[in-house]
Amino acid sequence: MPAIRVSALPARLVRMVEDLRRKEDRLALLLSLVIGALVGLVVVAFILLTGRLTALMYPAGGSGWRRIAVPTIGSLVTGYLLFRYFPLARGSGIPQTRAALFIHDGRISIRSVVGKFVCCSISLATGIPLGREGPSVYIGSGLASVIARRLGLSRAQVRSLIPVGGAAALAAAFNTPIAAVLFSLEEIVGDLHAPVLGSVVLASAASWMVLHLVLGDNPLFHVPSYHLVSAAELGVYVVLGIVGGLTSVTFVKLLLWLRARFAKMPRASLWIQPVAGGLTVGILGYFAPQVLGVGYDQVERVLNGDVILKVVVVLAILKIIATSVAYASGNAGGIFGPSLFIGAMVGAAVGSVAHMAFPGSTAGPGAYALVGMGAAFAGIIRTPFTSVVMIFEVTRDYTIIVPLMISNLIAFYISQKLQKEPIYDALARQDGLHLPTRTSRTQGSVPLVSSASRDAPESLTPEMKISEAAERVKDNVLESWPVADELGLVGMVRTRHIVHAEEQGKLEMTIERLMQIARRSDGDKSVDLPHVHNDQPLSRALARMRENGHKVLPVVSRANARIMLGIVTYADILKAFGVESADDLDYKDHPDL
Amino acid sequence: MKTPLFQPAAPTPTATVAEFVATFAVILGAIVGLLLFDTALARVDLTERKAYAAREFGLGERLTAQGRTEQGIEHLRTASTLDGDNSAYGVALAQAILADGRPGEAEQILLPLLERNETDGATTLAMARVLAKEGKLDEAKSYYHRAIYGLWPVGAEKNRTAARFELIDLLAHANARQELLAELLPIQADSTSDVAQRKKIARLFVVAGSPARAVLTFRELLRRDPRDADSYVGLAEAALSLGDFATARIDLLAAQKLMPEDSVSLRGRIALTDSVISLDPTQSGLSLPEQVRRSRNLVQMTLTSMRTCLGVQAPQVAAALDSASLLLVAGRAAGQAQSVEQNLSLAEQLWGLRRSRCAPEAQDGALTLVHNRITK
Repeated sequence: MPAIRVSALPARLVRMVEDLRRKEDRLALLLSLVIGALVGLVVVAFILLTGRLTALMYPAGGSGWRRIAVPTIGSLVTGYLLFRYFPLARGSGIPQTRAALFIHDGRISIRSVVGKFVCCSISLATGIPLGREGPSVYIGSGLASVIARRLGLSRAQVRSLIPVGGAAALAAAFNTPIAAVLFSLEEIVGDLHAPVLGSVVLASAASWMVLHLVLGDNPLFHVPSYHLVSAAELGVYVVLGIVGGLTSVTFVKLLLWLRARFAKMPRASLWIQPVAGGLTVGILGYFAPQVLGVGYDQVERVLNGDVILKVVVVLAILKIIATSVAYASGNAGGIFGPSLFIGAMVGAAVGSVAHMAFPGSTAGPGAYALVGMGAAFAGIIRTPFTSVVMIFEVTRDYTIIVPLMISNLIAFYISQKLQKEPIYDALARQDGLHLPTRTSRTQGSVPLVSSASRDAPESLTPEMKISEAAERVKDNVLESWPVADELGLVGMVRTRHIVHAEEQGKLEMTIERLMQIARRSDGDKSVDLPHVHNDQPLSRALARMRENGHKVLPVVSRANARIMLGIVTYADILKAFGVESADDLDYKDHPDL
Repeated sequence: MKTPLFQPAAPTPTATVAEFVATFAVILGAIVGLLLFDTALARVDLTERKAYAAREFGLGERLTAQGRTEQGIEHLRTASTLDGDNSAYGVALAQAILADGRPGEAEQILLPLLERNETDGATTLAMARVLAKEGKLDEAKSYYHRAIYGLWPVGAEKNRTAARFELIDLLAHANARQELLAELLPIQADSTSDVAQRKKIARLFVVAGSPARAVLTFRELLRRDPRDADSYVGLAEAALSLGDFATARIDLLAAQKLMPEDSVSLRGRIALTDSVISLDPTQSGLSLPEQVRRSRNLVQMTLTSMRTCLGVQAPQVAAALDSASLLLVAGRAAGQAQSVEQNLSLAEQLWGLRRSRCAPEAQDGALTLVHNRITK
């Protein structure tokens, strides 16, 4: 960026800028508009470039072998780029965005943004069946983060702009400004009443306007207006909700299982792993070209009633396999679009059967495909409110809302029952990120661990002898001590165990051995890694103390549970609740303590 | 050992006013640059997409015209997906799907097009055809009217007239006489130069129950071209409808003279006219016994027609037939004038009952014409 001297700027401009920087709310509004417009334009460029590249990769009348070769080579190229230059650009982008928000103070590097743009463009253009929406959210949030940091905003302001960029990106990528706002709040922030609501709405609107300015008023799908043919049809929508929910669970479980298998492969194979996805997609695409790419053309056809039962069933199954393998193997792209594709096919299949059985009292399969999209989205992404609004925005048809709500809710419920952890949380956990759950993000004003934590004492090491450890702990009142190696925290050891070992004369025994004995002899799980995070409520810390009997817990980073940020003690928690001494408590409720 | 890995604190954010301004300037520059880039890219993309859609549309139309409807539909669908703004593609797709016997699907395609532009003539006409195919006549008529008064970017008059004639055909097929007449009247004056169209309209006037208007038109045409055999046939049809069987026979003979090569069909019509004339008991100049004979014959023929069409199983039909037979027997004893009246009245009642139960049949042509005349 060119250097500008302050003295070269007019004094009035300097005053204006200083004034603007002082008034955070005004700056937030201005930035929302600017970020919205910029992100909208970048996402439009992303969509258009991907489209042009796809046309180059798959010219009309191309041979079938191209469908195997292109995704395989594409995944090889992106695999290398992701491994060598852009490791954070793998996968969807939603967990990474949430990690940036909750762990890294809203920090997303420009390198990751560029990487996401380049790798996803190549990935999607070569026919990898992943979505563009998740990556767009990451790109949008990343741009917001970069801009905010370049402008020298505070960490809180940088964090607050993450959902703003995300919403702007989704509004442009999916042409659904309201759903974009809801998704940003429901999934990224995890709080529909977040104070950033105004900024998110502004950015989404600005982005959507830019999209319309460049691409015109075209909904993502042109869909006929569907309506409920008879009240009895609601029963079929219930069935669709059940089938949609079960399909969602199958998809999520398969994807996570495959991803866990890939994660166990040697790290050296990381760059070649995406080829497994590319080749699988290519082979499936050779027989069923509709599997390639995000597949919105096929979705539109199905939504317009172009449905052959056998075809939609096969496509739903193939897409589940192709997307799971492509994502799990580390290709760049999201699961937003594939969810809609799978939902549309499943809905069309259910609708076809229903229409064949009861032609007079059911709508055509297109209506069910539409509702199926919402059901799968609610089941896979687990944002039921967003999914209802999104389908409404996509179709601009109000009459389908009631069946949509019914199917969505059932799919959401089934998915919640059969797959406890939402997919983005599970993906983050597989990456070693401990993101706050939606419940923990909506705790409100309960006291948090951060309010009672203190600096950690110097840790013991696994190789330390009992004699040395006993010397260390003897003058300290702490009842448990952290044990850490060069990579970080490995567990906790009780002071009384050290003292007992010393009294037994086992002075040469190591702490590691002591921990092993404690684990084996009395099934003491407390020597594993009990921990809490700074943003968890104190009640959670108390519950965890009760679970493992420690009165001292390490406070660890969400990015890496082996990074200790401090400790929290039972006495400190009591003090935070206004209880001066543990003697003031009724021990009947806490016998372990 | 030191306490492991405390998370490093992020640097305190700072930026000078100059950096702040420079960043903003870069962002605004990027917005302008991206806007230009995106617009150019979108334009190229749109042009290519439209060209591809046009190719697919042309191919789809050709295949559909060749009778390869299913393949044609595939290409038309691609065209419609690629260029959703072009309603012509959607309409062509809907028409092809309709031709493939899937009116419900065609309707679903047309609905969003109508939502976007409810006054588009081609779309409303296509929807009218779909609804007509689905048997939703009232809705179809409404859409035909919207097509007639809708917007046609090219060839408005021709398309409107074509739409009106489609509606007229539908109404004629549905035997909706009043509505048919209402549609025919506005175009009667518009088609003075087109002889074929005038003849068609005149014939439809007969169907609409206004044969007098048809007579006027055919006479006018004959004044212009006295050797127009077709007009003589039309005139004969109108005369038959009016119950003027003798005139109809004269007109048919005149047509036969002018068009001897088409004598087979004309001979059939003349034979029909002769049957009607020999059957009609109300014809002027008949003696009373002849009137009685013909009226009995009419009742007998009507009974036969009823038996053929209804069967005698139904109790009320059986009762009507019994009373008709009794009346026929009784008529022999009654005065001749009274008998004619009774027979005609009975024949009319029976015919009314028959019409309410059965569709007209080809072999009943003469009977129908005579009964129409008696009713009048």
